[in-house]
Amino acid sequence: MRGKDRPEPPKPLATSTAERLAAIVEAAERAAVKVIDDAEEEARDRLEQAEAEAEQLIAGRLAELDELTDSLISQASTVRAQSEQLIASLEEARRRLGPGREHGLDSEPNRYDRQGQEAPRPSHLTAVDPVAEPATPAPTELRPATGEATAAGARLLATQMAVSGSSREEIEARLRNGFEIEDTAAIVDAILGPEE
Amino acid sequence: MNASAGIGLDEVRSLEERYLMRTYKRGAVDFVRGEGPLLWDADGKEYLDFLSGISVCSLGHCHPAVVAAVTEQSARLMHVSNLFYTEPMARLAQRLSESSLGGRVFFANSGTEANECAIKVARKHAHGRGIAAPEIVSFESDFHGRSYGALSATPALARNEALGPMLPGFRSVPRNDAEALRAAVGPNTAAVLIEPIQGEAGVQPISDEALLAARQACDEAGALLIFDEIQTGIGRTGSLWAYEQTPVRPDVITSAKALGGGFPIGACVTGPEAADVLEPGDHGSTFAAGPVATSAALAVLEIVDDPELLRGVRELGAELSAGLTALDGVAEVRGRGLMIGVGLAPELDAAAVGADLLQRGLVVNVPAPSTLRLLPPLVVDSSHVERAVGLVGESLLGLAT
Repeated sequence: MRGKDRPEPPKPLATSTAERLAAIVEAAERAAVKVIDDAEEEARDRLEQAEAEAEQLIAGRLAELDELTDSLISQASTVRAQSEQLIASLEEARRRLGPGREHGLDSEPNRYDRQGQEAPRPSHLTAVDPVAEPATPAPTELRPATGEATAAGARLLATQMAVSGSSREEIEARLRNGFEIEDTAAIVDAILGPEE
Repeated sequence: MNASAGIGLDEVRSLEERYLMRTYKRGAVDFVRGEGPLLWDADGKEYLDFLSGISVCSLGHCHPAVVAAVTEQSARLMHVSNLFYTEPMARLAQRLSESSLGGRVFFANSGTEANECAIKVARKHAHGRGIAAPEIVSFESDFHGRSYGALSATPALARNEALGPMLPGFRSVPRNDAEALRAAVGPNTAAVLIEPIQGEAGVQPISDEALLAARQACDEAGALLIFDEIQTGIGRTGSLWAYEQTPVRPDVITSAKALGGGFPIGACVTGPEAADVLEPGDHGSTFAAGPVATSAALAVLEIVDDPELLRGVRELGAELSAGLTALDGVAEVRGRGLMIGVGLAPELDAAAVGADLLQRGLVVNVPAPSTLRLLPPLVVDSSHVERAVGLVGESLLGLAT
């Protein structure tokens, strides 16, 4: 049993060096793997942190967008309602004017003639003499309407007054007193046409 | 005793005290005849009527057109019920709708009944939106009538516990408090029911700010905005409807008083939003929409829905306001057109002034301790206005001394 009885011969130098080198390389590789693992772990941590921050940011933005959307919907609803009111007023004006009465040339105030036939209605947009506002001071509790939300209200007021037969001067006085609008021409011109 | 004098004031008072429920404090006069803005009592004394039967006889007393319409129709056909068609009803509905909100009309016999209809419309409209317990919001010192629905919407009278319990689902906020109104309107709100100018409260206009707040709150909540135009409508403020001089357009209006020119009639008029809310079986009336009442109302609208007449109302209103404002003892003049509230100086008793004016031949009303209410016929002229201002001035001067 030759192999068992003889002492193991010393390793050749080359082999020993190769092993050491292999061990060094192995150690280096292990170190490199650890570095890579550490780097990957750090990268994962940073990624998770970035994702969390991004999610937080997105959630905040979504909340802001939600609020903004609600506000826009609310404003749109208000605009729609006010537009519907304006349209209804204008339709009423058209009904009141009747065909062929757009220029206020009528002289017959009655809608039904003696035979009971419907006659064209008088124009309510016919210019009439101004009526002076009562010289009474406004009661202190009646605060003028102000703010952007009232702009449509002022236009509706002017439209309704025009439909009901109020003069330019009456409408302008009401806009000044009720809405503190000094330059009333833009609103009134849009309804009655520019002043000649 | 002549026919126009009748049995005389003393005998009438005696019968009234014996047989009528004691619900009114009446002025000590027995009117027997009226023409235009004038009234005469049993003794033949003439009065200038600046109350118009609380804004009912807006064309003056016994206007020939109204008398003719009532006489002619009552001689032809008085009543058939709402189970059948009649032409005056249909023509009046068309006229009311086309002159205002463009929807449908329900006829009633009075203002309070018109408001009952509006309350029903509001509640059913709310149920249609899934609201189980709908609420109606009004202003304090609003007056909407004396039946239980309308009474429940009239905060000052609804507090009378002897008449309780009131209907649930009514709340109120201080007059002209826009913020309180916005806060009161919420998911359960069926309607905001208000007078654009409060009449029984002493002619108290609602501010543009409060009206805009009401409109906006209703739009946001999906509720209806209802204007009680029972006193303010039919030309009283210088436009056919008072809302036409405001920055808002309501969804429903109620009308009565001057609509019939002295003949009882009420109407609830909707816009398109509420036009189809009520269906067969939801509401009704035996007498309402009768041909005589609707013929009277057609005659009234034929005259009042006229730009020239309405311009005259605004002009005379301005004259009356200016004349009253200049009087000693007058602290404030409120209102619009020929709907005028006169706030007296604190030292003056308005009830005494009202009684004194009746003695002097001017009929006015005292809705509050320091307030006179003037609701002259829309057909008065400058001489009537001058005479009324003169009588008020003399009375205030006499009572001040």
